[in-house]
Amino acid sequence: MQRIVLATVAALFATLVAGAASAKEFLLTSVKPNTLVLVDPAARRVARTYEIAGPGSVLGIAPSPDGRIAYVVTNHWNTLVGIDLDNGSEVFHADFSSGALRVRNTFGLEVSHDGREIFVLLLPTVIGPSEYHVQDPYIAVYRADAGLQAVPVRTLPVPRRTAQIMQSDDASKLYCVSWDIHAIDPQDGHELGVQKLIHWDRPGFAEPDVFGVWTQFEQSHIWINPYSAARTDADPADPASMRTGMATLDLATGAFHMIEFENTTKVIFSAVVNPARRNEAFAVYTTLSKVDLAKGELVRRVDLPHTYYTVNISGDGREVYVGGTMDDIGVYSADTLERIGEIRMPDGADQAASWVRIVQR
Amino acid sequence: MVGAAAAGETANNDAAAAALINTKCGGCHEPGPDGGLARISAVRKSPEGWNLTLRRMQQWHHVVLSDAEQAALVKHFADTQGLAPEETAPFRAVLERRPGNVEHADDPEVATYCARCHSYARVGLQRRNAAEWLKLVHTHVGQFPTLEYQASSRDREWWHIATTELPDRLGRKWPLVTASWTAWQGHASPDLAGSWRVVGHRPGKGDYNGTLVVDRTDVDRYTVHHRLVMADGSALDGDGDSIVYTGYEWRGAATLGGLPVREVFEVSADGSQLRGRWFASDAVTGGDLTAVRGGPAILAVQPPYLKTGQTARLTIVGSGLSGEVDLGPGVQVQTIEQTSAESVTVLAVAGATAATGGHDVAVGAARLAGGLVVYDKVGSVRVEPGYDVARVGDNGGPIALVPAQFEAVAYLNGPEGKQGEVRIGVLPASWSIAGYDADSKQAEDAKFGGQIDQNGLFTPGGAGPNPARGGANNAANLSVTAVVTDGAVPLQGSAHLIVTLQRWNDAPVR
Repeated sequence: MQRIVLATVAALFATLVAGAASAKEFLLTSVKPNTLVLVDPAARRVARTYEIAGPGSVLGIAPSPDGRIAYVVTNHWNTLVGIDLDNGSEVFHADFSSGALRVRNTFGLEVSHDGREIFVLLLPTVIGPSEYHVQDPYIAVYRADAGLQAVPVRTLPVPRRTAQIMQSDDASKLYCVSWDIHAIDPQDGHELGVQKLIHWDRPGFAEPDVFGVWTQFEQSHIWINPYSAARTDADPADPASMRTGMATLDLATGAFHMIEFENTTKVIFSAVVNPARRNEAFAVYTTLSKVDLAKGELVRRVDLPHTYYTVNISGDGREVYVGGTMDDIGVYSADTLERIGEIRMPDGADQAASWVRIVQR
Repeated sequence: MVGAAAAGETANNDAAAAALINTKCGGCHEPGPDGGLARISAVRKSPEGWNLTLRRMQQWHHVVLSDAEQAALVKHFADTQGLAPEETAPFRAVLERRPGNVEHADDPEVATYCARCHSYARVGLQRRNAAEWLKLVHTHVGQFPTLEYQASSRDREWWHIATTELPDRLGRKWPLVTASWTAWQGHASPDLAGSWRVVGHRPGKGDYNGTLVVDRTDVDRYTVHHRLVMADGSALDGDGDSIVYTGYEWRGAATLGGLPVREVFEVSADGSQLRGRWFASDAVTGGDLTAVRGGPAILAVQPPYLKTGQTARLTIVGSGLSGEVDLGPGVQVQTIEQTSAESVTVLAVAGATAATGGHDVAVGAARLAGGLVVYDKVGSVRVEPGYDVARVGDNGGPIALVPAQFEAVAYLNGPEGKQGEVRIGVLPASWSIAGYDADSKQAEDAKFGGQIDQNGLFTPGGAGPNPARGGANNAANLSVTAVVTDGAVPLQGSAHLIVTLQRWNDAPVR
């Protein structure tokens, strides 16, 4: 669903999103214990909560393109469930582990644009009688209609340390973010290309540190991740010796950019690109920052009342939503970064590092 | 590991332990060609290390062990597959949970791979061959799959290096078979029963001395009666029990002055000395301890310093003391106020011409090199520990706060004014805290992080969001300053204090 929220892209998938024109934006997040939360951001309120069976809490969240089902990783990263957002029932269930094989999701989660398949990044370990054997990671591909005892229909090998997976808008590639970004064929996993990330060729710079857990690109169709990089040609005591930047990958065109915008002074966990002004990004941790991706400039920064792990944005580009920690989603003006609202989670429940996704319903 | 007299009891214990291992561990750990059980026979650890392993087997693999069975297994494994004293020597501070301990890894590469989640000591207090270290890497990733994604993992081919170069490196550095362990296995665990003369220091409280009366109840097991007196005359008495592992690792549980404490002492190879630390549940409240039996010997002079031109009461603490008191050239004993085999209290004066620096102290044949420091003026003041971490807690949460205890330690300037040459000792000070840098000052860390009293005890703020801080927690980055007045000139020292979040998982070896 992630890519069908923009009118331009929705047109590409018109047959799949009948009725989308009248759809309204909601946020999907979660709280402890194991509860999915649907938020109406315009009304500044929680629209509905969904209790998920079993232990743990939710990490990754990916809605189906038709906005009816939310696929979430739960059970201590051991299980993927699909929750019907209309009636709250569990319509999909896949336990990753079986027998002596302990398998955990390590962040990456994606739904195909046609809504028929779910891609989930897994790291398996054989728990032997007296020792463990760690196996190679892979993407398990499930059919969305596989029901409550889903098993993968195929697996796709990925490099170790892969954290995020995103499908290209034309559905021809799965981008796997590891040390570099590996584009693989979603059908058979064969590698289609590599976009260098930490192995960039930048004289005067050390390898950048690029890592993200929270995946949110559905509004702009641009994947974005903060990075920091040390300058090898600068005195380490010089504040400019460590620079913070943003890596972006346009999922429609494949265009990739890395640009620094400030000397590293703040920790940044995740970022989102404004769909209305695509050179504008918002980034969070203890501060909310607005970054000009074209000029490589920090436009504005405000302190946040507490740490927020993740950020998303309204389709019109006017409101920024910060979340993933504690019991509130903060609403900020994309223009001024003024806090213009907030949505409290039920009973003060903690969001437990959950993703915050946009779903059109 | 035991004397001949105890050999029969030990054989019984070994047979019981073997049966327990077979029952509790043998279901998964299969016997190897050497008769040992897979994995188990391939490692050596501290008592805390074995305790941690057994706890994990219960948590991860649902082994059911009673407290008594757990205790029996830790004793057996620590005795038969433990560590020699030389092997634990670099890591005593971690076993003792010494506050403010900053590790200095002798292999930065190993530290990068291993010591960012737990201490370097956690690794250094184990011995395995390369193949077994490799299995431990698999266990780590199988159990903690985010390991490959963390800083200092994701910047390199972590898995490849951690499964090829690293196990070999660890196997060379800390192998299963070592000369020191082979030699130590012939060591007889000493009988520690008897009366021990004790000196010690409680940070924030002062020096103490006294007696431990130790009674043997079984092989390596004792009851202990503490009869301790603080420098201000207050009593610090209590009783406890102890077990000695591996012939030298004293682990005690006692109640001292009403406070439940644990003891981590090292027994010297000849069984004549105990040295270590005792501490309460916060691991901060506690004290150093040195104990000897026999003599004649001087353990300490309390207080250990004397200013030139001043008269002061000094207590020489020791064992088997008898004879003339000598405090070194230029220091006169004016009055002997009290004398016994265990202590001599004198009024002493350091003449204006007394040499500054360490003076050897003697009572008859007993002698302590540098036991008394004579100073004319304090050269510098250091706050010790120079770096420490306190933790928010309580406030309705399940984890108690962890304070930090600082002391102002005076040093004598060396030749040509060089600072920090000779430690004078702990002096009273005026204490304060402030934001460590511009960010922490702006965030009012000194206001929210906690408070320090005039004994150098820092008490952090409560756990959880603080409404008065806009919902932020009470974490803080602070500078701790002590001002010592020596004559007309105030002298200042400072330390760096981080106030951070609760320690939710407190492992036996951190």
